[in-house]
Amino acid sequence: MTTNSNLRTRRVVPVAALAAALLVTACNFDIVNQNAPTDDQLTNNPSKLILARAATGIFSNNFTEVGGDIQIYTIYGREGYNLLGNDPRETGEAISGPQDPGGRAGGNWFAKYQAIRTINTYLRAVKNTVNLTAEENAASLGFAQTMKAAMFLRLAVRSGTYGLPIDVDRPIDADPAPFVSQDAAFAYVSALFDSAKTNLQAAGTTAFPFPVAPGFESFNTPTLFLQFNRALKARAEVFRATFLACATCWTTAQTALTESFLTRTGLPGSLALGVYYGYSTAANEPQNPITEGLAAVRYYVHPSLAALVQTQAGGAPDARWSSKTRIVASHGTGNPPVSSNIKPVMYNDNSGGTSVADLGADIPIIKNEELLLLSAEVNLGLNNKAAAIADIDSVRIRSGGLAPTTLTVASTDSAFVTEILYNRLMSLLWEQGVRWIDARRYGRLGTLPIDRPGDQVFPSMIVPAGECDARGLDSPCTPPVTP
Amino acid sequence: MRQALVLSAVSLIALLSIPDVSAAQAQGRTIAGVVTRAIGGRPVQGVTVTVTGSQQLAQSDDSGRYAILAPEGDVRLSFRAIGFSRKDVLVPATQTNMDVALSEDVFELEAVVVTGQATTVERRNATTATAHVSGEDVTKVTAPTIESSLTGRVAGVNLQSNSGAPGGGIQMQVRGNNTILGAYDPLYVIDGVIYSNVRIAGGRGDIDDAAFLVAEDDPVNRVADINPSDVASIEILKGAAASSIYGSKASNGVVVITTNRGQVGKPQVTLTSRVGSFSLANSLQSRRFTSVAEAKARYTGVTAQAAIDSIAAANGGQLPYNDLYDEVWHARSPSYELIGDVRGGSGSTRYYVSGTWKKDQGIEDNTGFGRQGLRINIDQGLGTKFDVHASSVFNRAFHARGWDNNCNNFACGGYFLAYEPSFVDLRPRPDGTFHNPIPGLEQAANPIQTSTLAENHTETNRFTGGVSVDFAALTTENTNLKFVAAVGADIFQQQDNLWSPNDLFYEQPQPLPGEAIQNNGVGRNLNWNLNGIFQHQLGPANTTTSAGLQFEERQLGTSRVRTQNLVPGQQNVNQGTNTTVTENFTKERTIALYMNEQALLSQDRIILAAGVRAERSSVNGDVNKYFIFPRFSGAYRFQGLIGEGSELKLRASYGETGNQPLFGQKFTLLNTPQLGGQNGFTLSGASGAPNIEPERLKEWEGGFDASFLNGRGTLEATYYNRHTTNLLLQRVPAPSSGFATQIFNGGEIQNKGFELVAGYAPLQRRDLTLLLRSTFTANRSKVLQLPVPGFRPPLSGFGGLGVTFIEEGQSLSQIKAFAYDATGTPTATIVKVGDASPDYRIGLTSDLTWKSFSFGTVWDYQHGGDIINLTSFLYVDSQLSPDYGTPSYTKKLNGYNDGVMTPFIEDATFLKLREVSLGWLLPQRVTSALGLGVRDVRLGLSGRNLKTWTNYSGLDPEVANLGDAAIRNNLDVTPYPPSRSVFFTLAVGF
Repeated sequence: MTTNSNLRTRRVVPVAALAAALLVTACNFDIVNQNAPTDDQLTNNPSKLILARAATGIFSNNFTEVGGDIQIYTIYGREGYNLLGNDPRETGEAISGPQDPGGRAGGNWFAKYQAIRTINTYLRAVKNTVNLTAEENAASLGFAQTMKAAMFLRLAVRSGTYGLPIDVDRPIDADPAPFVSQDAAFAYVSALFDSAKTNLQAAGTTAFPFPVAPGFESFNTPTLFLQFNRALKARAEVFRATFLACATCWTTAQTALTESFLTRTGLPGSLALGVYYGYSTAANEPQNPITEGLAAVRYYVHPSLAALVQTQAGGAPDARWSSKTRIVASHGTGNPPVSSNIKPVMYNDNSGGTSVADLGADIPIIKNEELLLLSAEVNLGLNNKAAAIADIDSVRIRSGGLAPTTLTVASTDSAFVTEILYNRLMSLLWEQGVRWIDARRYGRLGTLPIDRPGDQVFPSMIVPAGECDARGLDSPCTPPVTP
Repeated sequence: MRQALVLSAVSLIALLSIPDVSAAQAQGRTIAGVVTRAIGGRPVQGVTVTVTGSQQLAQSDDSGRYAILAPEGDVRLSFRAIGFSRKDVLVPATQTNMDVALSEDVFELEAVVVTGQATTVERRNATTATAHVSGEDVTKVTAPTIESSLTGRVAGVNLQSNSGAPGGGIQMQVRGNNTILGAYDPLYVIDGVIYSNVRIAGGRGDIDDAAFLVAEDDPVNRVADINPSDVASIEILKGAAASSIYGSKASNGVVVITTNRGQVGKPQVTLTSRVGSFSLANSLQSRRFTSVAEAKARYTGVTAQAAIDSIAAANGGQLPYNDLYDEVWHARSPSYELIGDVRGGSGSTRYYVSGTWKKDQGIEDNTGFGRQGLRINIDQGLGTKFDVHASSVFNRAFHARGWDNNCNNFACGGYFLAYEPSFVDLRPRPDGTFHNPIPGLEQAANPIQTSTLAENHTETNRFTGGVSVDFAALTTENTNLKFVAAVGADIFQQQDNLWSPNDLFYEQPQPLPGEAIQNNGVGRNLNWNLNGIFQHQLGPANTTTSAGLQFEERQLGTSRVRTQNLVPGQQNVNQGTNTTVTENFTKERTIALYMNEQALLSQDRIILAAGVRAERSSVNGDVNKYFIFPRFSGAYRFQGLIGEGSELKLRASYGETGNQPLFGQKFTLLNTPQLGGQNGFTLSGASGAPNIEPERLKEWEGGFDASFLNGRGTLEATYYNRHTTNLLLQRVPAPSSGFATQIFNGGEIQNKGFELVAGYAPLQRRDLTLLLRSTFTANRSKVLQLPVPGFRPPLSGFGGLGVTFIEEGQSLSQIKAFAYDATGTPTATIVKVGDASPDYRIGLTSDLTWKSFSFGTVWDYQHGGDIINLTSFLYVDSQLSPDYGTPSYTKKLNGYNDGVMTPFIEDATFLKLREVSLGWLLPQRVTSALGLGVRDVRLGLSGRNLKTWTNYSGLDPEVANLGDAAIRNNLDVTPYPPSRSVFFTLAVGF
């Protein structure tokens, strides 16, 4: 080797080292995630526009688990079945148990809390923002608190006597929020509806500083939205009165009803007045999750309902039953199978003599027809039986085409309850799973049919495995309740 | 590039061995001769001949001839060729002719192993366990993808197919499960280019309503694009001390693939054609209905009973039994593969060019796999100091993997069949129409109609290429300084087209019948590195110091257009009314600085190596922080200790590697759902970790390599103990927090295991050789410390139907489910009922040659491991279990009714005859008589997966419905059935 190459090498090495050093430092390593916005956009003094987007997000979250709740509650309450047979648990664990805290029975929980977390984040942002007027601020708070109370109400219905966590607005690294009793949970929901009321009233005549979601069109100002708030409040109080034997709740329920959009005029048209989950067939919009044509075999109404159906004067069945169901060929699944020949068609397009799926069919959140029946319950609870009969008849006659009820003020409370629950079942068929909810409220779970030996009727869904895990408890668990 | 490095190393060692001979020595003589095989006497081409102590170098030509300039006096010539043992011979001063016979290096002890980005060491001097597979082994029996051909051939590697679908989809685990949430694939490096092995789901789950939209698509891992016939060798860096040269992406091992390169000499052309077919290897039976009454007891609907009567009436009053699996899956038109390659070189240029055309016909209609490829590898010397090595390959791969695995609308064949009574004949009617499902008797679908009319196609076009430049900067008697710069790119585009036409029976009842999906994945990996290598001979010590810099950028964009409610007969995504579009893009950059030191001391008896790598990456929380990964290793070679020509090497090593956070783990995102025509903001369920760091794997490894009986026997044993700390973990906060997951670093897991590789060549005669090789792998994993409560990892399974469960003190792959307690009542909580990982695996390879015939087999035995057989569960649910009414059915039915899964947890032990090959090399006189310049002609008959012995009641004990997961779950939900393949091969060399 010659000296020349050594010289060259001596030059090459530092040049290479310099080039390397440049290359190491020149590169940009702050690569952003361009796939979605990040959370700081919502927490860092958001603009009015961003807040409006977050309000849309709250409306969007409100759709969460609607189909799932109806599906599992109808199965639990023998209001319906899922007979697709794709998942053996639909006719297994869901009907005969044991309830799986990591599966169906521990579900219908997380997404609601996720929605609540978005609402809490929004509430904090609204409280701190300088980009809204005082009225807009109050309107926003009243809206968000109502949606939050509504979500907690859904959770309280889902859960049993073991209660639920309420104080969930805490840092992710904090201890899990403690469970509070069912009583405390309902009390919290009730108070939150009232806080929302205060804010909605403070908003005065201002418009909401965000677009209102489909399904809320009739309640699109703070003043009108308050009527929706009161309707839900009435439902909460009636549930409280029945689940928890809260005698004073009948009165608060009655007050709430009078402030709600309950109306006895314009029947039967006004029966449908209310707030809806506004589904759409448009691309990317939420679609009705529980509609299917007659040839599909997922959703069936429980056959035991057929025997309950009352008949109209001419012998035809209750108009609600005939408009909401269709008889088809019997279909069964499971081992041993459960079967049904009744399809739910309330969310179908039933025009043209057939019944096809309608992904744009709305599902009621709460409607006047329910308010009338809540009023019947309230009047029964307050021992105004004549008023209760009037409420029952307004629905029986107007919605079901039935003759006036045979109940008299001398009838037993139990007979009243039976009649009210029948009407709730027919009026709210496959809207909330009221057969199960009402049987629980009035201690009538034992009256629900058992199809196969070993099947069970469950008193509630159970604590999700994740809540047990986070508290170091083996699931299924009943976490300790903080009063 | 590997070969080039060998050559460089050879010349360097030659140069450094006798320091007193000057390189400039000019006077001399020419020594010439012929190099032949010790067995058979055929000439060996491409043998590198060097004169010890001089820079002279020559290669043998296609007739084995060489000629080399040597100094006066006695000289020592060294002969080396890949696949042969090195031979050193003394040539006396008076001699100018030296013929040499090389014996085959049957156990590949002479191969080189990678020790750095640009450094290698001879295997005999390796300080860590090595796993080396030659290209010849890879291509002996044609395999759809390259991983299949590794099965049974390497220790420490667990390879399992996720289903029987054509064209890949294989999970490879090196030394156990080493992560829970991180990347779990080995890193693939091909000719120095970092090669993407991503799985991109095409969207089948959207159509068949799968529970897990990506994993249940059964996507192939993109290593399927590699053409096995291009492979010269595969080396798997298993231990941390070996793989840490790749830093924070190497904890799952590194698969280093080197492709064929040309050799100086006359061009050699090889044309290979294979024709064969795939056939159904195993099928599931269904309940036999012995009477119409029995069927009517099962099916009570009016329509169903009428159908039963009419089927019986058409069949003499009895219900027929149809082999439904065979109706859907059976051998179809032939599969084929055509390969042509040319290699050669002259002067300072060498080249290798190959082309392939492959088509595997699947056993389901319209399924299959195809691959075309064109590779050009060129090596070019520039002057005396520069060497340029270029590799490039273009591949097109086509996959059609059908409609199987779990789904929720009976679009998938096997799932449908679990609910299909055996007396129904599914075959199309003579007029070509399809059997229409009978309500109440059958589910609304027909798998034959689905596979005939629906499309699930994936096409991938891929370019992979790289260039490296070696610069011999300085060469003196005792020192050698070299720079190597390399740049590589791997770019692919995958497009999936799926079409589920309106008239399919399962589409008809849907609210929006008819669906089409166009899915795109575009991947781009770029990497470059700069290295300086300094070798120094000081007395008996030979040291190599290398330092360098490596940059890597990976990006992957995926997008999907899905439309529903199609215009009948149309399949373009603009022909539906409900169209959704999704897009995702990830980009990661990593830069690393490294330094390695290696020393051969005391006449290569003592080998010491150490290295350190520092790297930073954009995926870490702190993008400016350098993470340091050190390694140390050493070995001592005893020669002649266990007999003449024997060698025993004791080795020990320690190393650390990492596993980078996944893209996006540091961010908390907002979801943007649409409502009322605008997108809202909602918080997503995943809380990111702004301070996320890589996982860190620390491993001790120790063992010995022994070779005895003059290289006719080898035994390598390795024990390792690896701990992964700072795991990427997912805390599952209480769901009431509104967060589903929170990413953080923490915890510790352990994998320890034992690997054994044994080889023995009992027969080494001229006309008869027998070579036996065996591998043994056993790995045990354990969660040592878990800062979170036990949890189900992602894709763990279906809730109470059996899940993998991460729990302190337990194996990572334990399976938990409800079981019966001692009193026979169902347990209140899920308990351990099995483990997905096998206890051990044994591979056995035999190669027998007799005259011009060869016969080889590969056996693969897995002991233990458990499977969650949900297919069996479905057959109980449908009351169509083939054992209906027997005690075994009752046992399953009780479990089914009690929510207890133990009757469905089955042992995965199997023995598979993976490969059988029979070859015949036509006699020279026949070949010569053919003329046309034919060099040799080989005929072969080979089979893959010909036979499986197992007690497993399902289709195949190699199964994973959710295979795209770090923790393998062995979930069997009606997979694409396994197939066996048989091919006839004709290979002609010119």
